[in-house]
Amino acid sequence: MAVVETAAGPAPAVPAPAAPRPLGRLLRDRVGAAALAVVLLFLLLALAAPLIAALYGKNPAEHYGQNTPGLLSDGGLPVLPNGGISGDFWFGLEPGLGRDVLTQLLYGIRTSLLIAFASAAVTTTLGVLAGVAVGYLGGITDRLFGFLANVLLAFPTLLLLLALSPVVQSRLVDPGAAEPEWMQFLVLILVFSAFGWIPLALSLRATVRSLRERDFVQSARAQGAGRFHVVVHELLPNVRSQLLVHATMAVPTFVASEAVLSFLGVGITEPIPDWGRMISRGSEVFQADPTYMVFPGVALLLFVLAFNLLGDAVRDALDPRAGR
Amino acid sequence: MLSFALRRTLQALAVLVAVSAAAFALFYAAPADPARAACGPRCDNGQVAAVRQSMGLDQPLLTQYTDYLAGVVTGRDIGDVDGSVIHCDAPCLGYSYRLHQPVTEALVDHLPVTFSLAAGALAVLLVLGLGTGFVSALRHGGRTDRLLSGFTLVGASVQIYFLGYVAQWALVYSTGLLPLPSYTPPAEDLAAWAGGMLLPWLVLGFVNSAVFARLSRSQLLETMNEEYVRTARGKGLGRLRAHLKYTSRGAAGPLVQLLGLETGALLGGAVITETVFGLNGVGRFTAEAVSGQDLPAVVGAVLLAACFVVLFVALADLVVAWLDPRIRLS
Repeated sequence: MAVVETAAGPAPAVPAPAAPRPLGRLLRDRVGAAALAVVLLFLLLALAAPLIAALYGKNPAEHYGQNTPGLLSDGGLPVLPNGGISGDFWFGLEPGLGRDVLTQLLYGIRTSLLIAFASAAVTTTLGVLAGVAVGYLGGITDRLFGFLANVLLAFPTLLLLLALSPVVQSRLVDPGAAEPEWMQFLVLILVFSAFGWIPLALSLRATVRSLRERDFVQSARAQGAGRFHVVVHELLPNVRSQLLVHATMAVPTFVASEAVLSFLGVGITEPIPDWGRMISRGSEVFQADPTYMVFPGVALLLFVLAFNLLGDAVRDALDPRAGR
Repeated sequence: MLSFALRRTLQALAVLVAVSAAAFALFYAAPADPARAACGPRCDNGQVAAVRQSMGLDQPLLTQYTDYLAGVVTGRDIGDVDGSVIHCDAPCLGYSYRLHQPVTEALVDHLPVTFSLAAGALAVLLVLGLGTGFVSALRHGGRTDRLLSGFTLVGASVQIYFLGYVAQWALVYSTGLLPLPSYTPPAEDLAAWAGGMLLPWLVLGFVNSAVFARLSRSQLLETMNEEYVRTARGKGLGRLRAHLKYTSRGAAGPLVQLLGLETGALLGGAVITETVFGLNGVGRFTAEAVSGQDLPAVVGAVLLAACFVVLFVALADLVVAWLDPRIRLS
């Protein structure tokens, strides 16, 4: 029997493949889906770190190499080849202190992600508030903000982060007093947040400035909508995708910045596990024991790469016109 | 063009003054005890008091700032912790109580290494970035494009210290293909200079080329579809020639601006690269000043770096205006 086409028939059972939702588009993109999987895996590993450590029977703090004879040589290097990889220590031992590399890596993800997510949340919030407000108000506020952003962006990021960390720390911690662990996290989040919101604010300012003149905003205003309504109900929904892309891209940036600062010795200090510091320690023994640096180095590369790929995929999924 | 150049220069000067004020506020007004931070951890209370006096910390904040600015313009006398008075020549960026040396002098000592590193890295960045971007754009969507994009993304994600150590291990220690990175003044021995800097140039240039490659690819793709380029192609101009003559000029603006920013940032010191390869440039000097708690040296280095950025961003804007009349006439 022939299928009869009716003009006023119900919608076809199978939805048109032309316009899937952004998440569907993201998952259909093979690279994007793989990146998302890797990112989720890292998240899961971070959340489950204590559980995995318990099952595996090691913790990141204990100096196994020093407590158990025969694991480290007199020079502090693992006795077994490849950094002391064995059935007991899957990723080997840290030279010198003899801690377990696998658990250090797992707990290191927590350090990294905690700082990166908190900084991304703060900078995104600040960026939205400043960008939308300045773009909408325009006039003198806008010019002042433009100048301020120019001034702050003139400082090279890394130098500023490097120089600012001790200053912020000196404000928060009394000289001579021991610095609590959470304070180290707070200092880094503050330093990253102090300047990290500017790029987002700048790009939102430009978007809002052009949206402001569009008909739907004008008509809302003509109907008597107040500033608050215009900003929250008319402007914000239109910058949502820009926000999401920015937040995704911000996380790997902060992960990398945190690792750099710890590598240079002004970030997270012992005994909190941290990838940047592991690489720094690894660089000291690199010729004798390259394995120790390879694990955190490759983990960091994978992590940042996956997040960057995810950011690209999110952008493509949210804006199909942005061609590849 | 002249009026644009004048306006842009004035704007850059205004930014510079504001930058100095911001740096001053961040580092001399914000720390709990600037005198202790300036003197360093090894100073006793008497020395800190001497520094406090010498830095004029008992003066109102505005006076301190104007004194500092006056020092930058005309130079000034500064008392060291041992009571001796040193004349700090203009541009005086302060006095390092740790090194017993004016900051400007110390920075100038480290500049040649940083300049050498920046020049070579920029050359690598330009060749790699533009080359990758151009080939990707020409082969848009094909396998070469995907391969190059992947390569670029790895460059954007890899940590420079990790790549630096791995490259040094692979190319220097294991195979001996390259000499151990070191700095020899080019005036002394040009070949040793280039050989010693080659690995740092390649690593720093590759990592920084990623953003440049991505931008040049998207810029070229966008401009390729502009009507004037399609017209030129339609009139029979060969593909490569049309792109070289018309597309590249149209796409150059944002690229020149990014290059200006990169140049300024590199001249301020490549902290990580210099640390990894043991090059004693401005970046390493700054990192050491931070860990040695030498506040005046830190502020001087940050200010110098910011000046380079402002200068090269302004220069890039001038070049862009020269390339594109729409900008200078608006």
